[in-house]
Amino acid sequence: MAALDPKPESGSECDNNTDDDGDGWVNEGCPRVGSESESGKDCKNDTNDDRVDDTSDDDKVNDGCPPYVPRWIFPPDTEEGKKLDLEGIYGRPAIGGDSVYFAAYDDSVYALDAKDGGERWHFRTGEPVVGAVTLTGDGRLYVGSRDAKLYVLDAKDGGELQHFTTDDEIWSAPLVADDAVYVATAGGRLYALDRNTLAPVWDKPFDGGAGLISDPVLTDEGTILVGGFGKTLYSVDKATGSQVWAFKAGNWFWGRPLVVNGTAYVPNLDRKVYALDVKTGEEKWQTPFQAEAPVRSSPLLADDILIVSDGHGNVYGLHPEDGTLVWSGPSLLGKTVLSDPLLLDDKVLIVAEGGDLFQIDPQVGTSTLVRVVK
Amino acid sequence: MTAGVDRAAAPRRGNLGPFLIVGVAVVAIFGLLATGRDPWDDLFINPLINALVVLDMVTLGQFGLAIILFTLLLRIATIPFTIRQLESTRAMQAAQPRMQEIQKKYKDPKRRQEEMLKLYREHNINPLGCFMPMLIQMVVFIALYRALVHLVGGSPESLIGLSQRLYPIEFLHGQVPLEQHFLWLNLGSADTTFALPLLVGLSTYVQQRLTITPNASPQMQQQQQMMTWMMPMMLVFLTLSLPSGVGVYWVTTNVFSLFASYYVYGRRILDWRQLLPSATVEAPGAQKKERPASQEPEDTAEREPALAGGPVGKERPSHGKRRGKRKNRR
Repeated sequence: MAALDPKPESGSECDNNTDDDGDGWVNEGCPRVGSESESGKDCKNDTNDDRVDDTSDDDKVNDGCPPYVPRWIFPPDTEEGKKLDLEGIYGRPAIGGDSVYFAAYDDSVYALDAKDGGERWHFRTGEPVVGAVTLTGDGRLYVGSRDAKLYVLDAKDGGELQHFTTDDEIWSAPLVADDAVYVATAGGRLYALDRNTLAPVWDKPFDGGAGLISDPVLTDEGTILVGGFGKTLYSVDKATGSQVWAFKAGNWFWGRPLVVNGTAYVPNLDRKVYALDVKTGEEKWQTPFQAEAPVRSSPLLADDILIVSDGHGNVYGLHPEDGTLVWSGPSLLGKTVLSDPLLLDDKVLIVAEGGDLFQIDPQVGTSTLVRVVK
Repeated sequence: MTAGVDRAAAPRRGNLGPFLIVGVAVVAIFGLLATGRDPWDDLFINPLINALVVLDMVTLGQFGLAIILFTLLLRIATIPFTIRQLESTRAMQAAQPRMQEIQKKYKDPKRRQEEMLKLYREHNINPLGCFMPMLIQMVVFIALYRALVHLVGGSPESLIGLSQRLYPIEFLHGQVPLEQHFLWLNLGSADTTFALPLLVGLSTYVQQRLTITPNASPQMQQQQQMMTWMMPMMLVFLTLSLPSGVGVYWVTTNVFSLFASYYVYGRRILDWRQLLPSATVEAPGAQKKERPASQEPEDTAEREPALAGGPVGKERPSHGKRRGKRKNRR
């Protein structure tokens, strides 16, 4: 877990020792060494040292490109921090006030100080957590664990307020909407619980047959979209828990659907992305978009371009209306991508396997390996 | 002698089977390579993954039991190979004194080879008899390791690989995710309690000690003694870094081997004294080594059955009652 500086000092700010952007760091985005540092268009690749000269201090790739400077990294590089093995962070973090909340695969939920990354508290669940945490405005943190429990924590101190035991492991993030919290399980059930008491809202949970592992997503139609191992995406009425429609694909639904203007863009491990009408479940594109590898990441809409990344690190820019390619071909990151992309300052950020951070221009599809200065 | 000659003249049973299997496998491998597919995945890993998921369903979602059931089914399916290997090994040990005689008696390599082949035929020995069971064991061991990485890999992303390997049959997908816990183990990761590695080592040691065959040569006996230590030690360290599911497979296969050995060797393997590291088992012919070659009876049929290589391949287990009946028959 790291907090990066998206706008480090650069250009004219590099010639003095003043903290021009007032973030407590000086010259953090400036080229470190060498007169022939790579910059501008050289930054578009991630492997070539375009500006090689004979000086020993200028042999790095993308060394003059704007880096995302980490303000902090958790666990910290201390004796204590080295002992902590998070084993992986699969869900996106939640930010509330001056705290960052996230769940890790080491059976724990952490709260960190957003400024310095210091640990405020951690809460142990019985088993690893795969999904993201959900933070609500009233200071409650909802998190599902592989121990089959939905926990409600006090965001202030990490104290357990309540928990609800489901039928099976929970792999996705809980959805909080109105007065209910919706949680899907690997046993194939979708529960609707009162967000204050955790009492079941529906007569019985929705049963999808096979495990439901995608994050439940709320639509404007008052339905919840959820899918999983059964290769089926379900639309469930949020008030009654009854099925509205079901859409069958070639493999598992794992990535979170993106719902925009009545259309759900849904990734599938059959290497396709489907555009479905949220009302009827009918396909909107003539043919689904075919990627080269399974698509686990959630699609992202950036500047009216639908960004899709597949498991082999191919990033595609699509027209949301018909699913055709905007760029001539995929942007090749050369690394496995499983995480969801992020939009920051009109640029798409993608974290690939091994923690490499790529920045993509959604208009033209050029990718840059972002140098993270440690 | 006549019986021996008849046996030698008769076609060797079962020799065609392994060659057929290997032949079919080679054709399949080249066929898959020609279509740009990975033969290792298509022929071994993917069928194994799907079979284990089916067995997981049979065992009501207890994946540890599914591994045990798979091991037992595999060992039962390959029992002809196993029995043949054990019998061949025993026959080889029984023929040791004769082999030494031939080595001493015939200086001409060609003649010596002819005599050795003749001896092999007489004793129904297949020098490559242990090849097929060992090959099956090794292939399954490696394939199981790879399969477990996908099935209970310990990390959620391993399931993406699984999604591409499951056959498009509804109930297979409905079985995912598989239960990783079995007894005290997490089947997808190494056992940090050391209990399973120790069990693997202990069961391998016991299996090897109890099935150690009498050996005329002190050198070979020394080698066997060393192997009974080296192999378990190696497996202990290996299990410390492999998914526990592989250890479960190994313990199960060792227990099965003990039963198979009991079937072939009889009560001899129940002698607990063989578990002692210092225990040695002498070959029936070992004391005869001192006898001049000229005093050796010409007709091998006059020897002890095991030494003479009577119908070793088809010999019944040397359980007390059966041995009595055999003597009466003779």
